Amino acid sequence: MSQAVSDQGVPMTGAAHRANRAKRVNQRARSLKRAKRIALHVLLVFGTLVSVFPFYWTAVMATNTTEDMYRNPPALVPGPHLVRNVQRVFDNVDFMGSLLNTIIVACATTFLVLLIDSLAAFTFAKYEFPGNRMLFRFLLLTLMLPAQLSLIPRFVLMVELGWAGSLSSLIFPGVANAFGIFLLRQYIQNSVPDDLLQAARLDGCGFLRQYWHVALPAIRPGLAFLGIYTFITAWNDYAWPLVALVDPEKVTLQVALARLNTAHHTDYSMVMAGTLLAVLPLVVVFVLFARQFIRDVMKGALRG
Amino acid sequence: MVATRAGTGHPRTRKRALKKRTLKKALRAYWRQYLAISPFYVLFAVFMLGPVLFSLFLAFHKWDGLGPMEFVGLQNFRFMVKDSLFWQSLTNTFAIWFLSTIPMLLLALVLAAMLNSSVRFGGFYRVAYFIPNVTSIVAIAIFFGSVFANQVGLVNVVLQWLHVGTVGWLTDSFAIKLVISALITWQWTGYNAIIYLAGMQAISSELYEAARIDGAGPVKCFLKITLPLLRPVILFTVIMSAIGGMQTFTEPQVLFGTVDATNPDTGGPGHAGLTTVLYLYREAFNFNQLGYGAAIAWALFLVILLFTVINWRLIAGSGRRDR
Amino acid sequence: MELTRRRLIQAGLLTGAGLAANACGGGPSGKGSDSLAGKKMAIWVWDGCISMNVLKDGVAHFSQTKLTPSVIGGTFKQKLLTTMTSRAFLPSITGVKGEDMPFFKGTKADQFVDLNTLGADKLSSQYVSWKLKQATTKDGKLLGLPIDIGPCALFYRQDIFAKAGLPTEPKDVSAAMSTWDGYFDAGVKLKKAVPDSYLIDDGSAPFSYTVKQGTKLFIDENDRFVADQPHIRTAWDRAIKAMELGIVAPYAEPGSTDSNAAYNNGTAASSVGAAWHYLDLVQAAPKTKGKWRVAAMPGGPANFGGSFLSIPRDGGDHALAFEIITWLLSPQNEARTWVDNGNFPAAPASYSLPELTGPVPFFGGQKTIEIFAPAADKIPVAYEAPADAAVSAPFLSELKDVWAKKKDPEKAWNDAVSTAKQVAQREGVS
Repeated sequence: MSQAVSDQGVPMTGAAHRANRAKRVNQRARSLKRAKRIALHVLLVFGTLVSVFPFYWTAVMATNTTEDMYRNPPALVPGPHLVRNVQRVFDNVDFMGSLLNTIIVACATTFLVLLIDSLAAFTFAKYEFPGNRMLFRFLLLTLMLPAQLSLIPRFVLMVELGWAGSLSSLIFPGVANAFGIFLLRQYIQNSVPDDLLQAARLDGCGFLRQYWHVALPAIRPGLAFLGIYTFITAWNDYAWPLVALVDPEKVTLQVALARLNTAHHTDYSMVMAGTLLAVLPLVVVFVLFARQFIRDVMKGALRG
Repeated sequence: MVATRAGTGHPRTRKRALKKRTLKKALRAYWRQYLAISPFYVLFAVFMLGPVLFSLFLAFHKWDGLGPMEFVGLQNFRFMVKDSLFWQSLTNTFAIWFLSTIPMLLLALVLAAMLNSSVRFGGFYRVAYFIPNVTSIVAIAIFFGSVFANQVGLVNVVLQWLHVGTVGWLTDSFAIKLVISALITWQWTGYNAIIYLAGMQAISSELYEAARIDGAGPVKCFLKITLPLLRPVILFTVIMSAIGGMQTFTEPQVLFGTVDATNPDTGGPGHAGLTTVLYLYREAFNFNQLGYGAAIAWALFLVILLFTVINWRLIAGSGRRDR
Repeated sequence: MELTRRRLIQAGLLTGAGLAANACGGGPSGKGSDSLAGKKMAIWVWDGCISMNVLKDGVAHFSQTKLTPSVIGGTFKQKLLTTMTSRAFLPSITGVKGEDMPFFKGTKADQFVDLNTLGADKLSSQYVSWKLKQATTKDGKLLGLPIDIGPCALFYRQDIFAKAGLPTEPKDVSAAMSTWDGYFDAGVKLKKAVPDSYLIDDGSAPFSYTVKQGTKLFIDENDRFVADQPHIRTAWDRAIKAMELGIVAPYAEPGSTDSNAAYNNGTAASSVGAAWHYLDLVQAAPKTKGKWRVAAMPGGPANFGGSFLSIPRDGGDHALAFEIITWLLSPQNEARTWVDNGNFPAAPASYSLPELTGPVPFFGGQKTIEIFAPAADKIPVAYEAPADAAVSAPFLSELKDVWAKKKDPEKAWNDAVSTAKQVAQREGVS
């Protein structure tokens, strides 16, 4: 039997043979592609697990007792003690009060940063004026100043302003951050064409109206990115609020959490319940808006 | 950062003529622009620059925060040069930066490349990878502290099950740096991946198609097209991680936040996790040496400056030639 | 996105408005009058500073004011100091830790009210005199009334000692382990019999407590650096010896998960500490109730800590604050703090109260006063310089190195001394 035989054992013509082989190659390529895709997903899912595992584990520890954690092997699945642990968090720190303080600080900082930074970024990106480059380089330099450099003098300043212990002492220094200008300037350079501004200028648009009607709408995704970024940073800030909020009755979530951790370090499941509570709001908010946020980042931010 | 401006719009053409004018004239012509950037500079001057200058003044004084200041000249800096703990803190900071940044940026590149291959559920993965960045360092340091605890931490319990033998994560000086680096890597890999992904998606697909027609495989495409075009973005991430990494503070502070009042904020056994900023904090706030703390801050600032310029030169220097 | 950003900005606008209102109403004058009117009085404590039950009763007892206790986390001294710098939000009453008192006494005395001006001089006989002296400045100002003193003892697990064939009754343990060498011998025996348990839970304890058993610390009363002298070296060698004998538990930072777990799972068979160490054990390992006992401190009596209640100068209504302090620190209430927290009273009148003479359930019904009272009686009083903590830190760090990183002890000693000298020089100590 020298004749080529198909899979079914039926003799084939030359043309059919060729077609079959092509099909087989195609099949193999497809299954290779599928294998690759599966491998890709396996890797990506593994990464996802690494990303979210701490939340799971925090939940496990927050719903068990401290003794359950000292056991060998420790508890691996959520237990029934969440309510008890949360109750003890509420007994030990003013959780709701600190949550409200954190929301106020994060919202106010974000609003001010968006306003101030977009205006400055627009100016830097689209206008050549004496000192433009020098001032911008100076801006970059400020990014390198360690925040802790000014911890104490800034505190002394807040005392002089009568702001020590007030939420204003957290908001305004948070606004004086060059990162946003840096980011938005790049964004504007890429997504606001000069022709458009030129056209607006010919239509009689002044500086402010160019900013408001041309630049701002074009950089919405960048603003959203900066907004969420600023919000997160303000929400999670720790070192400065730790120093600035001198009134122990008025603190932010992070300070309350750290206090829980140092003052009641032996009650670990309670500390973990506090950790869970402190992390959850932001994660939920983020997940709600994240897809849009990240898609917008994709659209054009940091195009280099 | 090294981006060129799109188009040659008109505002630029004025530049040359401008140089000859006086400042007064410039102010009159561009008052709107100066006004527009002024809120930032005013806030910055009051809340950042003022305090920073004051800290420079402070670096030449001995002050405990309440009493009178005493001018001591260069004494703080002389002390620093001889202070072995200061040098150790610098080494620690660099070691932690290195141990975290390299895996972080490599992983981020790989993740971004995988996400860029138009994979299904891409949106879901992006969100999942970004979530660590949303989490507060305080919370996550508390978490890492309990997971890496020597006797009862999950990691060592698992290692025991596997009969591999446990590691003194919170006592061994190298393991401590690994734990802190792991924490940073965990928190920032997704963030950098998203930024790389943004950069990758901005690269025209025609370039890839052309390369594919020329017979280039995906790896070659990645090396010859993606990486070079991504260079500015990579520069951005390296600079940002350098600036951030040099200021690592909360992680070791919360991780080794001892209740030991006589020797607090040590950064763990052997000061293995004592970063420069934590050392600054310890000297300034625990031992009330605000002047010395300020001196350390200034030394650190110079180090960061130098380090950033070196990074910039290394990556941007070769990038310019490509353009 | 439309939704997100609009919402974000709306929220921002709202809070922006709120902020403006806040900024207007929150001037320094507003804050000052708040506390001066005597309506709200803050009292700052740390976890374990004073009995929370006593505080609660205090809040009810002084109904003419709104007494608000705050439990401050983190480094208490630092928090107090930054708040003093801020001149606002200072509490009317604050706890001051015994180890922080030398610092405040040495350089910040003017930040506190001299309690003698409020009538404390009439009460001085009520408290242990050496403790009062710790809070008295060179020119005779009294900065705080003592909550407790810190007589040290040996806390041990009776069940584990029994398993190892060691003496189990406090009387016998005290006799067998009256010296550090006797204590270490027991550690060697324990290690052979129960390999998972260790006698010493903190490698630096033999060092710290040996120093506290002497009358000289790191800086002497003439402000001279004495940390390189034999009394410190002896303490150092003792800690090294314990490490070399292998009787020190795997390293764990005090207060860490590991150290708490060690109290639970029996890795720590004993722990030396002051009377207030009771609360650490109760909080970390409530399930081990009844298994612990207290014996006399190896190597003789020592004091560790013991804190004060003070009145910050800028804290408002000093007279009422003083009245509250004397109420909180009456012998009866100090006895209650002992029951709840284990803090050993600084008021000798309380020693005969039933709260102190009675059995302690956590220690299996042992009458621990029998151990602590003699210890409190013979406490060696040492001069503690403001910079003492800073100068001692290098020794503790280097000991950790020896333990965790297997650093050569001799090199570690030399490094500790040279670093300590440098620190001392900067602190103005010769």
